[in-house]
Amino acid sequence: MHICLIFSGLFLFWSTVFFLFSIYFIVEGLTWFLEFNLLMINSSSIVMTLLFDWMTFLFMSFVLFISSMVIFYSREYMASDIFINRFIMLVVMFVFSMMFLIVSPNLISILLGWDGLGLVSYCLVIYYQNVKSFNAGMLTALSNRIGDVALLMAIAWMVNYGSWNYVFYLFQLKGDSYMNVISYLVVLAALTKSAQIPFSSWLPAAMAAPTPVSSLVHSSTLVTAGVYLLIRFNFCFNEWLMYFLLFISSMTMFMSGLGASFEFDLKKIIALSTLSQLGLMMMILSLGSYELAFFHLLTHALFKALLFMCAGNIIHSVGDFQDIRYMGGLVKFLPLTCVYFNISNLSLCGLPFLSGFYSKDLVAEIMSMGYLSFYIYLIFYVSIGLTVCYSFRLVYYSFVGSFNFLSLNSVYEGSVMMIKGMGGLIFLVIFMGSSLSWIIFPYPYVIILPLFMKILTLLMVILGAWIGYELSKFFISYDSLSLKNYSLSWFLSNMWNMPVISTLGINYYPIIGGSFLYKSLDQGWSEVLGSQGIYSVIVSGSKISQIFMNNSIKIFFVLMIVWLMIIFMI
Amino acid sequence: MMKFLFGLLFMIPLTFLGGFWLNQLVWFVVSFLFIFSFSFSGLFSSISYEFGGDLLSFMMLFLSFWICSLMLLASEKIYLKNSWTGFFMFVVLMLMLSLYLTFSSLNLFIFYIFFEVSLIPTLILIVGWGYQPERLQAGVYLLFYTLLASLPMMISLFFCYGKFYSLHYFYLSGMVNSLFIYLLVNMVFFIKIPMFFVHLWLPKAHVEAPVSGSMILAGSMLKLGGYGMMRLMIMFQGIGTLINVIFIGLSLVGGFYVSLICLRQSDMKSLIAYSSVSHMGLVLAGVMTMNFWGLGGSLTMMVAHGLCSSGLFCLANISYERLHSRSLYMNKGLINVMPSLSMFWFLLLASNIAAPPSMNLLGEIVLINSLVGFSELSMIFLMLVSFFGAVYSLFLYSYSQHGCLYSGCYSYFSCSVREFLLLMLHWLPLNLLVLSGDLLVLWI
Repeated sequence: MHICLIFSGLFLFWSTVFFLFSIYFIVEGLTWFLEFNLLMINSSSIVMTLLFDWMTFLFMSFVLFISSMVIFYSREYMASDIFINRFIMLVVMFVFSMMFLIVSPNLISILLGWDGLGLVSYCLVIYYQNVKSFNAGMLTALSNRIGDVALLMAIAWMVNYGSWNYVFYLFQLKGDSYMNVISYLVVLAALTKSAQIPFSSWLPAAMAAPTPVSSLVHSSTLVTAGVYLLIRFNFCFNEWLMYFLLFISSMTMFMSGLGASFEFDLKKIIALSTLSQLGLMMMILSLGSYELAFFHLLTHALFKALLFMCAGNIIHSVGDFQDIRYMGGLVKFLPLTCVYFNISNLSLCGLPFLSGFYSKDLVAEIMSMGYLSFYIYLIFYVSIGLTVCYSFRLVYYSFVGSFNFLSLNSVYEGSVMMIKGMGGLIFLVIFMGSSLSWIIFPYPYVIILPLFMKILTLLMVILGAWIGYELSKFFISYDSLSLKNYSLSWFLSNMWNMPVISTLGINYYPIIGGSFLYKSLDQGWSEVLGSQGIYSVIVSGSKISQIFMNNSIKIFFVLMIVWLMIIFMI
Repeated sequence: MMKFLFGLLFMIPLTFLGGFWLNQLVWFVVSFLFIFSFSFSGLFSSISYEFGGDLLSFMMLFLSFWICSLMLLASEKIYLKNSWTGFFMFVVLMLMLSLYLTFSSLNLFIFYIFFEVSLIPTLILIVGWGYQPERLQAGVYLLFYTLLASLPMMISLFFCYGKFYSLHYFYLSGMVNSLFIYLLVNMVFFIKIPMFFVHLWLPKAHVEAPVSGSMILAGSMLKLGGYGMMRLMIMFQGIGTLINVIFIGLSLVGGFYVSLICLRQSDMKSLIAYSSVSHMGLVLAGVMTMNFWGLGGSLTMMVAHGLCSSGLFCLANISYERLHSRSLYMNKGLINVMPSLSMFWFLLLASNIAAPPSMNLLGEIVLINSLVGFSELSMIFLMLVSFFGAVYSLFLYSYSQHGCLYSGCYSYFSCSVREFLLLMLHWLPLNLLVLSGDLLVLWI
């Protein structure tokens, strides 16, 4: 039996089991808490903690379902790869890391999942042997490493409480000065993992990974790990930190939405849209509704995974081209893929009654109801519009219009297993939003808004769709505004220069510093003051004594007699 | 204690007469016999004739036994080429003998003598089975860096004898409030561990040593410094609280500097050697905090580092035996020809950057706790050390494993089961011993 089918079936089974468990846990209001004591030092226990509640089970069931579909899909996508076993094992390791992350409410045992995610995703990003994936992998791993280090430091502060089971301390110690430091470090860790603003550049770069990886890792699981950590941690954040988080996440949402509207790489557009949705989750989290963040996390995982799988199918069909300017008119060749793509795209835009609508619209309305400031309000709605804008631009570019691909082509919908894998997700993309909202919310949210504010989301969606359509119309004789303001459009399309800053901007000093230290300290002063210096002192000393040795032997005798005389005289 | 001493002595004829694989087998048998005589309490046990050990000694001894067994496993090439196989095994045995006496003696003077004696077999290993003419210089560096500081230590031991009327560890608990004696005693350990600025002998020795020499250097010899400081720091409680902070600062900043230097290495062994300096800097800082967490974390980190960097040196050697170069410019794209070996590269490098569930992580967590408890300012350099540790490890991994194969490579052979066994025997204890982490942090 093929390795893909084994793991796909296994994961599907466990996904179902966990889903049933989660419903049972919601209904019964249960929480299971298991601890394995590893060691105890100075009465602080280092434990492996497992927390099972409806949230863990539901998240695990979603992760397993998506990974099951993705692994099934990889059977065909990666079929010609001779290292497919390695690939699948890496994906499976990744899923296990995610499981460990989800179930551990302990700062030490969460590292098992947290570091595991970073390392395995590094292996997956550098899966292809080219320079691009090399660089992307380095960027990904090192950005994530900042978060790992922040968590390690948070552990060092948490020792003041005598245990690392943070769930016990969050409520009681809110506002405590140690807890503040811990929460800052945890937020730093979450920002790196979820690619929020100073660390955003790794997420689009990580698209160098094979597309199934992008689908599973860089849309629905790894990047949501940060959000998930914050969902668990958000009880202890102080007001200032919440504002900070709100600002960062709103900027991320806006930045990535704008960047996606300029982007031409199919996978990068979707990656940037992931980034903007992560910003949305962080935003609603920092406004205090962590359940909504979790809800959006789940629905987003579904449609984003499907979106990536469709993108993979398209890339696979058009001979590994990713530039959307080469596509166009694909709806005639790949009808089913385009249908799936459109459904998940519209779900992403929040079109009514698809799954994204339930979470996103709720987020928008909760946002409007708890009116905070005009800036937040504006940027939020503009970003929602931008989401629709780049989605429609993408659709018009690649599916509608004239066929721009090479004249020698064989674009057809022949990949049955990929289609099947995608088909497993499509129903969930349509239905899961409403079902989840019925399952996880004990009572419906009460929304009271004036008519204009109520339909503002819809207006923004329609406006965004129109702008997106206009953006996709690009002909050679157009008077291009973005070409006229080239530096501005470069700035906006290049994620506000973040990829440049976080690679070239940072690596200069360590590398120059390394060579300086190596030359001047290690091979320089340490040698001069240490070994080589002593060596040269000894050499010159022995040379001086050699001068004495060169004298005639008579002088030695005379010296000896003089010396003896001195001794006798004393 | 005596039974293993005599066991080792009676292995001398076996080295010349017994053949390579029988020796190998006996080494493993001795290692496992040693586990059975392990004392799991923090107290001194097996005391006889001024020998004995607590958990610290036992862990160090076990590490030495284990590394010596693996040294033979790694040096099959010496056996195949028959380059003085018997003598090689004799040297390894002598090395183990001196390490055994060093770690198990309860007397400072015996410790000192065999601390020095252990240099000689290492020197013979490097000069005898090393690769390039530069190995002579490396040997001189190795010998004289330690000797320069250890002869003053001997003199200060006599001072201690005059003060305490004994050199037994139990009687060394008084206070020696003299900066002069502090420096005289500890400088040799700083050099041995090695601290930044006096670490120059280490990369040289590692680069020139054969794989067995590198393994024992990284695995046990560096730990002599940590071991000695853990035993003797009790004498300097008074003066230590005043000036230890200087050495903590020096080793943390040095750890960061060395991590940067690692980024500019093109020689794999040199990179791993510098990464040892960085990690042992953390150990040094942990011992210097003189608190419970620091000492426990240092022991954990020493054991972890011994296994991990010894494994990394094995990996570098496995590449070297195939490509005849340790240069990162030649060792490229190895994942394409040896994917399983690449997995071991990744696993060991992941352990090197303290990924769970390795002992390095446990050690690092405990050390970070002790150092941040000592001073919040140490957070800055701890973060940098930890981050750049990942940078150079990933640099090593991706440079050597990723990309396309070096096209000047004429022929190639893939990995043998022996090599996988060798790596597994490094990696498995490294990641499984976490489950009995009490052994490592509760030795005091």
